[in-house]
Parts: sequence; C-alpha cells; structure tokens
Amino acid sequence: MSNTIEVKVPDIGDFDSVEIIEVLVAAGDEVNVEDPLITVESDKASMEIPSSDAGTVKSVLVNLGDQVSEGSVIIELEASQAVASKPAEPLVAQEKEEQEVTAPAAASFDGSADLQAEVVVLGSGPGGYTAAFRAADLGKQVVLIEKDDYLGGVCLNVGCIPSKALLHVAEVVNEAREFSDLGVSYQEPEIDTNKLRAHKNKVVGRLTGGLKQLAKQRKVEIVTGYGKFTSSGTIEVESAAGAKKVVAFENCIIAAGSSVTKLPFIPWEDERVWDSTDALELKNIPKRLLVVGGGIIGLEMATVYHALGAQVTVVELGPGLIPGADRDLIKPFERTLKKRYENIFVNTKVTQLTPTDAGIVCKMEGKKAPEQDTFDNVLVAIGRSPNGKLIDAEKAGVLVNEQGFIPVDSQQRTNVEHIFAIGDVVGQPMLAHKATHEAKVAAEVIDGQQRFFDARTIPSVAYTEPEVAWCGQTEEQLKSEGIEYEKGVFPWAASGRALSVGADVGMTKVLYDKNTHRMLGTGILGKNAGELIAEAALAVEMGAEMEDVALTIHPHPTLSETLNFATEVAEGSCTDIYLPKKK
Amino acid sequence: MSKMIEVFVPDIGDFDAVEVIEILVSEGDTINLEDSLITVESDKATMEIPSSHAGVVAKVKVKVGDNVSEGSLVLLLDAEAAEEPVAEPEPAPAPVAPPPPPPPPAKVAPAAPVSKPSPTINIDHDNFKKAHASPAVRKFARELGVDLTQVKGTGSNTRIIKENIKDFVKQALKEPAGRGASLGVEPMPEIDFSQWGEVETKKLSKINILTGKFMHRNWVNIPHVTQFDEADITELEAFRKKTNIEYADKGIKVTMLSFIMKAVVAGLKEFPRFNSSLDASGEALIQKHYYHIGIAVATPDGLVVPVIRDVDQKSLSELATELREVSIKAREKKLKPSEMQGGCFTISSLGGIGGSSFTPIMNAPEVAILGVSRSKMQPVWNGTDFDPRLMCPLSLSYDHRVIDGAEGAAFSNYLTRMLSDVRYLLM
Repeated sequence: MSNTIEVKVPDIGDFDSVEIIEVLVAAGDEVNVEDPLITVESDKASMEIPSSDAGTVKSVLVNLGDQVSEGSVIIELEASQAVASKPAEPLVAQEKEEQEVTAPAAASFDGSADLQAEVVVLGSGPGGYTAAFRAADLGKQVVLIEKDDYLGGVCLNVGCIPSKALLHVAEVVNEAREFSDLGVSYQEPEIDTNKLRAHKNKVVGRLTGGLKQLAKQRKVEIVTGYGKFTSSGTIEVESAAGAKKVVAFENCIIAAGSSVTKLPFIPWEDERVWDSTDALELKNIPKRLLVVGGGIIGLEMATVYHALGAQVTVVELGPGLIPGADRDLIKPFERTLKKRYENIFVNTKVTQLTPTDAGIVCKMEGKKAPEQDTFDNVLVAIGRSPNGKLIDAEKAGVLVNEQGFIPVDSQQRTNVEHIFAIGDVVGQPMLAHKATHEAKVAAEVIDGQQRFFDARTIPSVAYTEPEVAWCGQTEEQLKSEGIEYEKGVFPWAASGRALSVGADVGMTKVLYDKNTHRMLGTGILGKNAGELIAEAALAVEMGAEMEDVALTIHPHPTLSETLNFATEVAEGSCTDIYLPKKK
Repeated sequence: MSKMIEVFVPDIGDFDAVEVIEILVSEGDTINLEDSLITVESDKATMEIPSSHAGVVAKVKVKVGDNVSEGSLVLLLDAEAAEEPVAEPEPAPAPVAPPPPPPPPAKVAPAAPVSKPSPTINIDHDNFKKAHASPAVRKFARELGVDLTQVKGTGSNTRIIKENIKDFVKQALKEPAGRGASLGVEPMPEIDFSQWGEVETKKLSKINILTGKFMHRNWVNIPHVTQFDEADITELEAFRKKTNIEYADKGIKVTMLSFIMKAVVAGLKEFPRFNSSLDASGEALIQKHYYHIGIAVATPDGLVVPVIRDVDQKSLSELATELREVSIKAREKKLKPSEMQGGCFTISSLGGIGGSSFTPIMNAPEVAILGVSRSKMQPVWNGTDFDPRLMCPLSLSYDHRVIDGAEGAAFSNYLTRMLSDVRYLLM
C-alpha cells in the first residue's frame, strides 16, 4: 500500500516569504530523505529545501517564482515503505581487497647484471621521480627506469599538467564570453588548435626537461625502456629498439602507475574515438562531443572542449556526476553544467558505439537519454586500471591482486621485504599527490627511518567550472560509518568576493565531530575550490576545531573567507548569513 | 608427475616471531596430516607445529634457530609421492625455485627472504592516525616507536605535543631501571663451582628463564601476603567419590580441582576485588566481569598456566574434562598462546605431591593465587570429641595494594565454607 505525503517547507528561520528560484524535482522522480526539492532565495542567500520523506513525486504544487513560507506544501509524495525505511547504503570499501592468496614463489636469475642499484625505481611519474630523488638525497645510489623517452609519467605528460594548461585557456574563454553580461563584450575567440597544442606542449616540455635536470644534479641514472622483473633482485629493461639491460637492485620501489581502462566493445581503432590522452592532443574541435563517464577526467575534458566551441553530451552510468563527492555539492554543479552543455544523462549506459561516415553512432540505455545519437567524436573516460600485472611482479615473488593492484603495508612495503610499491598501482585514489607522499615514505623507510603513511586525508579536486574539491571524510562516509557529526554550510551567494568575481554558484561545507568540534572533512564547490581545500586539509591533519578556523582572521574579501564563515556557521557566530537559533 | 605442496606455519596466536628449537622431520620422511613438523618456543611455551597436508617431505625450509611467524614456509611436501610409495627420483629442476642467488659477477641483492610478514603488522594504524596530534608530531612518535594511543596530550584540549612524546619516552626509560635498581641490593657473586668438584652447565629452557623473570618481577614488585587456612572436605570428598561411581558408566569423573574452581568463582563473585587488576597508573582498578581461571601445570620444560575460560558457565564434569585436556596439551607442548592468556585468578595445586602449605607467587596482573596442598585426615575438636576429618590446606596469596588483610581472610574463609559443604555453591 502506498500512501501520499505532503512535503512542506520546514522551519527556515525568520523568513516570511521567500521566492522559489528553481524547482529541482518533477512528477515521477524518486526522492530520498534530505534530497533537495526546490531552491529558494532570500535577500541574502539561496537555500535548498530538502525533502522530509522518501518516495516518488506524485505532483509538484509550486512553480518558479512562487513565494513560500514555513508550512507551504511543496510536493505530494507517494511514499513507498521500502524506500522510506531504507538506510543509507554503506560505502563499499573498494581498496580492501583482502584475498587469501599465497605469495608467488620468486623466480631465480642467474645471468649477469649490467647495472647495480641500491634503489631502483620502476616508473618516473610523480611518485617514481619523487621516490628516486628522495632516495638519492638520502645518499642512495639510484636507478630510475622509464618506458617512455620522457620523464613525468601520465601526470606531467598526458594528465594533470597538460589538462590544466588547457583548462586555464577554457576558463579565460568562458569568462570573456560571460563578460558581455557585465557590459564588456569581446568578439568570439578565434582558436588556433596548433598554437594551443604547442603552448600545452611547451608547458609539459619545461617541466619534463626540468625533471631530467633534477635527476642529473642528483646523479640518478635513468634507464629508458620497459622494465620487468626477472627475479626478486633483478629487472630486465628492454628499450624500444629491443636492446636489453639487466638492473640488479638491493631495494626496489614499484611506481608503475595505471592505464586508461579500455572496455572491449569500444571501437578504439577509429580515430574519432578518444581516450583522455587523445583528447589532450586537440586533434580537432568536434561540433558535437560525447563524453562517456561523468567522473573528474571526463568532466575536465568536457570543460575544455565546451570552451573551445564543442557541444557536449555527458553520459554517466551512475546516478550523478563525480561519484565520491557529496551530492549537495554536486547538485548545484550539475545544474550549472546542464545550462551549459547540450545534455547530461545520468543513470545511462552506453551499449554500443558504431563508427559511420556521419559520425560515431552511440546507442544508450537510460530513462531520459535517446536510444541513439550521432557524435563527431567520443571521449571515453570511464576510469583507470593499475599496471600491476604488466611488470612480471610474480617473478620477484610480489603479490598482485586480481584487479592488478599490489597490496602494501603502511610503510608501502609489498609482501617481499625489500620491494615497495607506491601510487596508482597500490590502490585508490589514483592521485599524484598521494603518490608523492607515498614515495617519500618508501624512500625514507629504505633509508632506515621509521616512516609510515599516516596522512588522514588525500584531498580530491575536479578542475571543472566551477571546481569541486573535498578532503577528509565526506558526509556520506560519516553517515555510513555512524559517526556523530554536524555541519556548517556557507553559500557563496553571501560572499562579497564570490559575487564580484561571478562565482556565486558555490558553497563551502565543513563537517565536524559533534562532541569535540574537530574538523572531519570539508567540501567546496566553486571557483578555485582546489586551492581553497588546502586550508581545510591542514585543519583535518591538525585536528583543528571549528573555532580554530573561525577565530583565524581571514583576509577580506576573499574566497578563502568562505571556510572561515562555514566554521562560524558551525559555531553559531556567523553574521554574514542569518541562522535560526540552534536548539 | 608429483605435486609440490607448501606447508606454512598456521595461526599460532599473537606471536610474531617464535624460534624454531627442534626440527622433527627430515627430507624423505612420510608424514600424515597433523603430524608434528617442528617445535617452536615463544616466551610462554613451546609448541609443535602440525602438518596441514600428508606426503613425503621434499625439502625442509627452516632450520633450528630460525624465527618463524604465521605464514612462514616450513617445508615442501610431495603430495603424490605419499600415494605411490615408489616415488620417482626428484626431478632435477624443482618446480619451485629456491630464492634467487645473487648474479655471479656482481655483488647484488642479498637473497632476501621472500614473503616475510610485514613488520608493521601489529600496529593499530587507524587509531594512531586518529590520535589528537599534528602530522609532524605523528612522524616524531613513529621515529621513537611511541604508540600515540598511549600518550596523554597536554596541549590545548589534550592535543599531543612533541614534549609529551619526549616525556613518555623518558618515563618508559626510567621505569624498569627505577624499579629494579632502586632496591639497592648487591648483585649475585659469580662463583666457580668447579673448585669444589665436578660440574656441568645445562641450559635452562626458555620457559624456565622466562618463568624465572616473571616470578622475580612479581615477587619484587608486588607486596604479597599469604593467608593459610584449612577446608574440611570430608563431605565433599565422600560426595565426589559417590558420584564418580554413580556416573562411571557415563564416563564422568569429577576431580577435587573442579570443585575448588567452582568455589573460587563463587569467591570472586562475592569479593569482586579479587577479580580485578591494577591499571598502568596504579591509581585505578580494572574490574573484570568474566571468570577465567588459570591452572598451573608442571611440564618437563617448565611451568605453564593454561586458562580455563568462563568457569562460571561450565558444569563440574565439563571442567574436569577440560582440565584433563589442557594438561595433556600442556605436556605435549600443544597449548596455543591464546590458551594461556586472559586469566583472572590462578590455582596451583600441589595436592598430588605433598606438603602442608606454601606461599604461591602471584601471576601478575592477577591479584591473587590459591595454593592447594595435600589433604590429610586430622582430629578436629567438635566440642565434645575429636572427629577424624579430611582437611585440605589452602594458601591464598594476594596483592596487598588491592586487597586488605581482612578481605583476604574473609575470602579464604568463604572458600573453606564453600568446600566444607558444596550446597553453599548453589546459594
């Protein structure tokens, strides 16, 4: 039996009547408890009104522009018992893949070594080169093995850095476009992709060139070629030309990274189908681009190509973009993107991609998505897979799990005592700043120091427009772990700086321990969120209390103040927005 | 084709590295499932490691003196060979390669033992991370090997600061020295006994050495008081003999010790301080709400104390059975460390050997121990006559920091009452 519930506007403080500026649900939608239903705007801030119950929306009783007050009926819900009583789904721990496996027996090697190293590092991405340089600085004799001709791995060459170079351009283009609203009009930009690519390559070149220099100064020997273990004491490196070199080592740090996950049904042979590396090459600016995967990588490239003039459609298998971040940050983010992009289809599966003369025909399965559509280019960004299975780790006796991750202990040590592993190849999150931290731990442990990976948080950032960043525990994690927390939320619509730089889509949310008021996590949506999250990460690491941040004078007017204000909201001392008294 | 099986050390409890003191098999031996392969010795006991498979021993991978842990490779078994006794000679290149020899011309990588368990395995990393300390202080604690969960912070709102870690280490360094050395006694003189006649030096077993250390520590650190008493067990002994005959066909045989254990549990319930331990600060008592009783068992290698769990919930016959099992296990060196931990109170019964009373030494952190000597018929004055009564001498040692003399006497008295008429146990 289903019963109908009227969902009303709850106590929203002293406001008598506020205007509805957005209706977020439609009849037929499924909503959960706390899902936002409408956005209302007062003279100071906009606010989302959450649902008090879960169920299916029967009818929406308010319209855009209506004035509502406490007690106004917003929607009628058909409450389904099952949905209503369903507890928050616990997060599935993806990393802890504790399988009962026996360690492979190491192979023996009885040839002769061409090179000897106290420490050999396999892979020169941000984790690898950091490990190599740190070990060298600690007095070790280091060999760094890299399969490509350049150092820096994915991050520097086909990841973080080139994408940021392009995203900066995208930001400026978008801002210039939006300036016409402010009374400053620019002409539509002319985009020379060759020149832009050259700019990006120059940025990358400067950094990778710098790395070679840094390696030389430290006397780190670079061996170019594909390295594979031949025993627990040797790696054979094969150059592109086929020449082989054997490197014998006392200690090894595996920093072999990850690769784009390639699903078999995708027609990779067609040049119009891209992975993230292809997309960074700026081969052409498609008229219509399909981005498969609504995660950080897909959305960053969508930002770039949209700014360069492409119409973008994003398809995401899950229920929302950027899985992992709290939904209250992502909802306004999705609204912004929906205005900008041609389409965003969530809960939608791409079932087939067929190259035709007219373009790539994409078949989709999803409630709102068309059955098929044709795009000029398709970017597939559905994730990355670890490279653990590609280095013959078993010959060294090193365990690799089914997914290709290499399990390590809290000192980055594999099951083999003198072999360590760091970065993408040891587990999620696959982030450069996690790899560099692990790299130092591994190098220092090899140096005989008592070092452990004791970091409390690895911040995550989506460099989209607006940016999304979070650190510590998310609200979803806190709920599923049953931790007693409270939150302080500051909407950027009440920040003078945010309004003056056109960044009113934004919010800063602090999550803290209910009893100690110590910072547990922070989520930020908005311009420069990636820069702003660093202060929150420090607060998490320091176990700072809300008051510690609230009583730290932040410069005015800045976006950094929003963290200050959010902690003031937590302490009930914020004067920049109006808060109903806490009971 | 023969199939090689690797036999590993199974779960042996909390121990990280235990020493191999004996190898019981050699290459070519045919062994069955559960046959003992090696003997290891921890600080608490020696223990034999059984085989997880049957077969013919192809290669023994440990030697006497090695330290092994759960998951260490003990030996390689040829499984098929067991079924066909006429085994082919071992194929020249073993299917499982030995650890890699260093490449000849270069002096490289010492053939490091593969798959050693991680040295970080016993650290509670989650709570370490959550301790209220900054990243730099966490790193400092790691350097000194300080468990942050044990450190009290004196910074704002109990934040742990570097000074707290230094103080913690200083305190830790002071403690053993402070306690032992401050007694100010002369060290034992070294004496050459051979000057008076022929001698030989025999090594003490590890258990002997460690028991000695523990006993010394407890004797010096704990103010012992021993209370002597006698329980009239005439009726109890008669009852025990009678029921053992009645229940003989069911295979139930109840020993006096089971009754004493029951009486002790009743005493622990009546006098809860006997079921407590002092906390590390010495300023609080940890009250236990479980009733695990340790029983001292003499073995050829030394004294071990298996612990019988939840004595309050077990019947007399169950206790008797369990007692028999653990003493067999103890003598066969098959007690697991986990079976010797968690006791609340220890009973040391020398009744089978003799003596009229003795002063047992506490098994810290327990706060009391009961010594039981040999029962004897004695004339007891009943007011008009001397009755022959079977009297059991009890010696109760207790920690005077926790228990006062009056309470000690009351506990002892309570025990004798329980034993003089076991119907009280039902009250």
